Amino acid sequence: MNVETSAVTESVSHRMVAGRKPELSQSAAVANGEVALLARLRQGNEGAFDELVTRHHSALIRMAMGYVADREVAEEVVQDTWMVVIEGLGRFEGRSSLQTWIFGIMIHKAKDRGVREKRHMNFSSFESADDEGDEAIDPSRFHQSGEWAGHWAFPPQPWDDQTPEKLLASQQAVTAMNRAIEALPRTLKDVLILRDVEGVETKEVCDILKITESNLYVRLHRARERVRQAVETHLEGRPSAV
Amino acid sequence: MAQEEGQPILSEITCQEITQWVSAYLDEHVADERKRHIALHLAICAGCETYVKQIATVRDVVGLLPKAVKQPADSQRLRQAFVARAKRSPAGG
Repeated sequence: MNVETSAVTESVSHRMVAGRKPELSQSAAVANGEVALLARLRQGNEGAFDELVTRHHSALIRMAMGYVADREVAEEVVQDTWMVVIEGLGRFEGRSSLQTWIFGIMIHKAKDRGVREKRHMNFSSFESADDEGDEAIDPSRFHQSGEWAGHWAFPPQPWDDQTPEKLLASQQAVTAMNRAIEALPRTLKDVLILRDVEGVETKEVCDILKITESNLYVRLHRARERVRQAVETHLEGRPSAV
Repeated sequence: MAQEEGQPILSEITCQEITQWVSAYLDEHVADERKRHIALHLAICAGCETYVKQIATVRDVVGLLPKAVKQPADSQRLRQAFVARAKRSPAGG
């Protein structure tokens, strides 16, 4: 048990989550709420445990799916993760956030399980797939030559101010976004789920995934761009290519 | 005036280049010099300004999407394990 929990690097991170719209920001609230939650967990408060599980379970399953063969195995991996969390709570020192610690345990377990299952696969080449190389945005949207080369030929059309609310209220839009996220290669999906879905700080995402900040932003931007394309397609009423 | 004389400024950094930096820019993870170039470009380029807003919208909305699975299949077993652990060491140690 010690080996598993200590395999996860805890790190101090006091970075501000800059540039987030206050009304839609989750990260600060999550970070602030965590201190109180941890205290309740340590007192053995069942409600606090339910809250913790509800808060992270969905994202844990989603990420675990990228490492293992099927949903059932992903459920097992996450179930095992929760057992390690229960046993390790007393030793958790809070040098990283609680969620960073939990996601680190899950990835460690999922990789372990995935490697055992896919021994015949070249795991490292699978890992680096779709990481570098392609442009984030379709290059044909920009002028290819002339004095405006590299500038927009087909710029994005503005979305109105109510777009976030409208998207969240539309089952079709939610499905389109979820499909776009599910279709991401694992390297992009991991970053998007940790940073944007779970609100994990940049430095901690890098620690969990063992990547550099510049690599994180390359991946994060590609992931966001693919979701943006799905939204654009949805708003323009064209059939989804995802 | 900026529109007519703006080409040299615009051409310092292309829209295609700007788009690569948007997520880092939104998180304020770009160096000051680059940040200044991006800000200058955004001030005169409606296409890139729209693009930045759209990426910010995606970032915010993704965090608010309804969660697909709320509870583990065997949540009762986990809760029991949590309670048992808490009883073994009430202070959590």
